[in-house]
Amino acid sequence: MALISTILALRRDARILKVPPYLSAFLILVGVAWLLVLPLDEYARNTYVSENALLPGQVHTYFTGSEHNVFRAYRHEVATLDQWSVEDRSRRLKDMFSESNLKVASQKYTYHVSGRNISNQNVYAVLQGPRADATEAIVLMAAWKNMDDAINYSGVALVLALARYFKRWSLWSKDIIFLIPGDSTSGSQAWVDAYHNAHDPLTIESLSIKSGALQGAVAVDYPAGPWGHRYDKLHIVYDGTNGQLPNLDLFNTAVSIAAGQMGISCTLQRMFSHADTYRDRLQTIFRGMLSQGLGHATGPHSAFIPYHVDAITLVTVGDGWHDEMSLGRAVESIFRSLNNLLEHLHQSFFFYLLLEAKKFVSIGTYLPSAMLIAASFSIMAIAKWVESGRPPKPPNPASTKPTTTPSPSEKDTTTPEPPSPELPMVVAKIGAETTLLPTSSLEITERSLFFPLAFVLSTHFLSLLPLYTFNNLPQAHLRTTFFLAANLTPILPLLTAFLLRRLAPSRPSAQEITLIQCFSLLFLGMILSTLATLNFSLSFFIGVLCSPLSFVRMTRNYVASGAMFLGLAVLNPVLVVQVASQVGGVGVLEVLLKAAEGWHVWGLWTQVVVWLVWWPAWFVGSVVVALGFF
Amino acid sequence: MAGQQKALLFGVAAAVRLLLFTAFPSLPTLLDGRVEVSTPVSSFKRLQEGLFLYTHNVSPYDGGVYHQAPLLLPLFSFLPNPLSHPFATNVLFTLVDLLSASALAQVADSGQAAVTRLFKSSRKDLKWSSVAIAAGFLFNPFTLATCIARSPSSLTNLFILTAMAKASQGASFTFLLALSFASYLAMHPLLLFPPLLVLLYDARATKSKSAPNPIVFTAVHSVGLAAVIGALLGVSAVLTGSWDFLASTYGVRLLLPDLTPNVGLWWYFFTEMFDSFREFFLGVFWLHVVSYMPGLTIRLRKQPLFVAATLTGIFAIFVPYPSIADAGLYLSLVPLFRHLFPLMRYTFLALANTMYASFLGPAFYHLWIYAGSGNANFFYAITLVWSLGLSIIVGDSLYAALRDELDVERPELRGKEVKRI
Repeated sequence: MALISTILALRRDARILKVPPYLSAFLILVGVAWLLVLPLDEYARNTYVSENALLPGQVHTYFTGSEHNVFRAYRHEVATLDQWSVEDRSRRLKDMFSESNLKVASQKYTYHVSGRNISNQNVYAVLQGPRADATEAIVLMAAWKNMDDAINYSGVALVLALARYFKRWSLWSKDIIFLIPGDSTSGSQAWVDAYHNAHDPLTIESLSIKSGALQGAVAVDYPAGPWGHRYDKLHIVYDGTNGQLPNLDLFNTAVSIAAGQMGISCTLQRMFSHADTYRDRLQTIFRGMLSQGLGHATGPHSAFIPYHVDAITLVTVGDGWHDEMSLGRAVESIFRSLNNLLEHLHQSFFFYLLLEAKKFVSIGTYLPSAMLIAASFSIMAIAKWVESGRPPKPPNPASTKPTTTPSPSEKDTTTPEPPSPELPMVVAKIGAETTLLPTSSLEITERSLFFPLAFVLSTHFLSLLPLYTFNNLPQAHLRTTFFLAANLTPILPLLTAFLLRRLAPSRPSAQEITLIQCFSLLFLGMILSTLATLNFSLSFFIGVLCSPLSFVRMTRNYVASGAMFLGLAVLNPVLVVQVASQVGGVGVLEVLLKAAEGWHVWGLWTQVVVWLVWWPAWFVGSVVVALGFF
Repeated sequence: MAGQQKALLFGVAAAVRLLLFTAFPSLPTLLDGRVEVSTPVSSFKRLQEGLFLYTHNVSPYDGGVYHQAPLLLPLFSFLPNPLSHPFATNVLFTLVDLLSASALAQVADSGQAAVTRLFKSSRKDLKWSSVAIAAGFLFNPFTLATCIARSPSSLTNLFILTAMAKASQGASFTFLLALSFASYLAMHPLLLFPPLLVLLYDARATKSKSAPNPIVFTAVHSVGLAAVIGALLGVSAVLTGSWDFLASTYGVRLLLPDLTPNVGLWWYFFTEMFDSFREFFLGVFWLHVVSYMPGLTIRLRKQPLFVAATLTGIFAIFVPYPSIADAGLYLSLVPLFRHLFPLMRYTFLALANTMYASFLGPAFYHLWIYAGSGNANFFYAITLVWSLGLSIIVGDSLYAALRDELDVERPELRGKEVKRI
């Protein structure tokens, strides 16, 4: 009780208003620094397999010997298909599966995105597990074309060879589905949507045969041509759509089998040479976060993860001495492990950052960094709220004590004292100079909420327009529209500020401006902390990029306003997207196309965050600064 | 002027609702599927199931899905099928919201919030216009979501607000009718009877200048309420052909057989409970909900409208199947007590808390149910935060009401620190 009253007394102190900006800046610094210490050994943990049933690498693998000849034959067969039409290719692949006595089907799909058609065919076959009751299934797939648009000859051949090989075993206690998607992202998306009846039957064919609930999926990406290619490492890709990750146990199983049983070293996030130094670990984290934050599909496995099917893609990289059979045996061993599962993977982590193949940071360790950054906005929002309830010049702390002043001041200084019978008496007794104080405090502290609330809400509402536009424009107009947006974005705040001042000269009063910032920051903090639980990396990046918004304010000092506005203009979302895509080596157009494809096909919502959260927050902050010019 | 404002407000509110209904045809189904909006006892989907059985001459309660009042069935069976012709249903729910807002405006106009027969707040001049308060109801996102989800809870809210309006105007018969309908639909509004009866008594006494005999007044109205509810139940029994509906409607609310998650505090507790303790804790939980009513009514008998409003807040936290419809009702009633705001200490904290919870709730539910990367504890934790936010508002406004009474009784203590002992 004593503590509470001390805190209550403390909040009357005018000095308390000076703290939040420093506290907010401190939280942002701590949030960023937090991330920088994660690669240290003290914070990272070694990975371990949590689910006992998996028993990775405990079985002998038999995919060797004459299977190699079968595989080579399939590879030559597949190599002849690359010039065929999609129809013929599908028919031939179906024939090959049915020659192994598997149930086969195909699926046509068409997506219309940005005025172009994405259309292809998936082929899949179901192996009914001899000990299975068709309630559970695991998926082995190789997309016809990989993420780099190269034909996945050896991957497809490996799936065909493994299908023929798996069929002869009697130990499968789950059905196995062999899937050849037409391409790496839309194909597997169409298939998995249709598998769960979440597709649009007009453009995507329904599946004619199905099996049980999917327990896991492994994709193979091995684009070596008909004469083979010996690889050096396995690159394990694990990012799902919208930054959702598969259970860490699946990743650990793959690493443990590949590295422990087969002697193939594993790598991730395109860190093909990883020296296990601080720098490399940090870079791995950063790349992982970037990929998670963008939320794009990174391979055929990505489509499965939103359906709570844990999935990874194994990509062969480099020149080395591992051949296709060791990859086949690794896959065989992974499937034997998945076959052991008694329940859905649930033991291990779903939220993690990997530093290297065998080191990770769990959510409890890293989440505070994004939360601290989100909290910095909330703290500033509270500070702005308190500030908006105070007279422009903070009163003498002594006068707020109820005992020293004749006029009774309320317990809550943030809300006004209503005109009570005592007030006029005070006026009559003390004279003109002191009478001004209560009336002015009355005027200022009465918050006018309507205009700030309407302004912030309508900004967020209006940003639906660019979201809709960029998701639905045809390809030909995307680039010009983007440059239009890039030019309009810095001008719009100036224009809005000018119009506001011109239409209603005194309208956004100092208090209303404070409240506008308060609501905008409150909303931003709220969304970012919610987002941190869904997609940590996106929340972190947006939080860092928005951090100046906590500190900008309206001032009549043109130099300061100019500097702040310039700073904000450099950090405007459209410019950041443009610069980032240039630094990343992909054109803006490709980013926009992928984003539109993501929106319509994969269910991506990164652009929702960019347009409905980041852009309005930036816009409101810039308008507040720009009001200082007019 | 006020009439014009009101017409404009109602027009805009209706337009927004109809626009949302027509521009996003899948929105009602989406919202109706959210556990925050529709509970087993207030889901439009379940109502349609009951309606299907009813129109095919099967008892609507046979499926074990429908737990709402039988009289809703003939009402909705008059409307065209909402799957193919949703417009009539949409208009009905829009109308319900407008009528609720108009009832709320009547409550605000009666001025009973700040000035009652026995009590006159020292800050009574501090108030918002009835149009502003109605706007707060109509554009409350929780009300809006309930309306778009076409949850029958909005009917319950309509009857509760009408009962409050009629009680504050001293209209006995319509008051009894409205409260009976509310109790018939949702059962727990019956607890509002004592405070609203006090309110009715106050209103009648002020109007007629000679106070009626309190005992006779109470007896007459209690009998009246029992008669109307009895009649409603009787009609229901005739309609469904048996008294079985009692077990499927009020039985479900009392005994909590359906543990579908919701924003309340009961479901998680009862999923974890050993069966042998179930009856005991059901009793304890219900006793807890009921116990607020006598305490508050006696302590704050001079401000009956405030008691009734606070009880709706208690309902939004502590009844077995609460939804955001209940929270929306309470949060729309709070602005009636604008005169208490200067005395409240945690408004920003409570509102920020409620807003955080309403964003984090769906996110954690998504992590639990769809992404599979979270579990039930995630969602339950956030419902605790949500309830905490509402409890802060309830507790803080109670403190403010008591402090307001103290300021009137002991003017010399105004503005001084007080300690609760």
